[in-house]
Amino acid sequence: MTPSATADLPPASSLQEILESSKSSIEGSPHPVYLHNLASTIIHDLQFQHDWTALSVHIHSTLTNDPLPRPIISGLPPKRAYIHPDEQIEIIKEEHKTGEKIIHKPEREWVLPSHIQEKWSLAKFAAVFDGLDVVPSGTGDNHDEEENPIGQQWRGKNRQKRLLLATLHDDSTVVYYIVHDGIVKPRQN
Amino acid sequence: MAQSFESVSEPIPISLVSGRYLLFDVNVVTYLRRTHHICGTLIGSIPQNPQQNIFHGLPMELMPEEAKLLVQKEVAYIVDDLAWHKQRYESMKGEDKQKYLQSLRSAGLKARKATQEQAKKNSEMALSRLATQKAKGKKESPAEGTPEPPDDKLPDTSFHDTSGAQEEDSIFGGEGSSPSRQGTAFASNKPYPVTPTTSYASPSLPQNPSPPPDPCVPLSYSLFAHLHSRGYYIMPGLRFGCNYNVYPGDPLRFHSHFLATSFEWDQEIPMLDLIGGGRLGTAVKKGFLIGGEDTEAETDGEWGDNVRTFCIEWGGM
Repeated sequence: MTPSATADLPPASSLQEILESSKSSIEGSPHPVYLHNLASTIIHDLQFQHDWTALSVHIHSTLTNDPLPRPIISGLPPKRAYIHPDEQIEIIKEEHKTGEKIIHKPEREWVLPSHIQEKWSLAKFAAVFDGLDVVPSGTGDNHDEEENPIGQQWRGKNRQKRLLLATLHDDSTVVYYIVHDGIVKPRQN
Repeated sequence: MAQSFESVSEPIPISLVSGRYLLFDVNVVTYLRRTHHICGTLIGSIPQNPQQNIFHGLPMELMPEEAKLLVQKEVAYIVDDLAWHKQRYESMKGEDKQKYLQSLRSAGLKARKATQEQAKKNSEMALSRLATQKAKGKKESPAEGTPEPPDDKLPDTSFHDTSGAQEEDSIFGGEGSSPSRQGTAFASNKPYPVTPTTSYASPSLPQNPSPPPDPCVPLSYSLFAHLHSRGYYIMPGLRFGCNYNVYPGDPLRFHSHFLATSFEWDQEIPMLDLIGGGRLGTAVKKGFLIGGEDTEAETDGEWGDNVRTFCIEWGGM
């Protein structure tokens, strides 16, 4: 029962693994370490709490090649994170007509990590959106344009720029809010 | 309505009374709402019920933002009512004064005529109702088949209907026999005393003695102008703790879409404000809209063009 062996440590937690694996990307990154760790914590929550897949961290903007204001996550949710109200109406109409259920395939989403004690501003949000593509590039994309043209004008490249604002609290609660770039009418949940 | 619209001609005078922008003409109020998406707030209460806080009437108060927008679009101009009234009061003499008094008198006569007509209509309606009741009563009384005379004052319930009809009949007869009495009550040709709501007759547009400066508006004006230029109707946002409630159409027909709060471009926004607003907005099926003027962007001259907006909704996870 002696606490002797440091050799037989318990296996690393999944969060520890994520933090370890992100170390390589931190080196040479233009962002401070705490922003990387913030992103890692959010990734952990997305992966294990919300079953997101194909998660990756973006350091540079694909539009300008400049560094993004902070590391930004992209990933594939298990189900569609956002359906535009007009698209939903279109889909319901079509379902009513054909009697067949239309499956909402998930789309890759941006996730902006933040902490509850931060202060944001319009300028900062604008800077983030200006560095982002409409749809994140990455693995796990499924191009279903051909098979489901219903509501296509609200999906993929046609959608309005949006991201999920993930806010972390010290008690490890993470809340997610959808932020649209511009005026988008609300969903009638 | 179309006819009364013709009487509205731009630019419209907006009365500035002790710092408030007021409109006193119902045609102007309707016109602004239909044509320029300006809703304003009705603030007039009935004099007998000064604590009234619902179903208000004229005058309509405009938000400073609304007043400024109308002035900028050259739809309206501001009249300092106090200065205008003083100037007008001092300069009104002789013929002008007589004309003004005459206009008051004719308004009083009009009011008297309207009351008279209404009273006449009321009494006619009452008479015809009585007549039908009487006819009904007469039909019913033989059906009951009671041989007793109707002047019997026994507390017999079966007779209440007929005796009641008879009493009413006598009232009816009395009124009918002395129409002259009724006539004299209305015959006085004295105009009703009228208290004008404005110090000038509505067709004579007041010339602005000294144009007051543009309405002093809060910083959220640019967001207001931005949303207004995109066809939204905007109401004050107190009920949802924001700057503006933003409606996609007339607020009488639509629910609002957004709770809009304005920020300066570099103003720090606490995370809790964003989350609280987003959560509240989603709970009431609206979006929480933040926006403000991008001070770094170059302007194209159009107001509200360099405004950037973001909509926040709950992510559902």
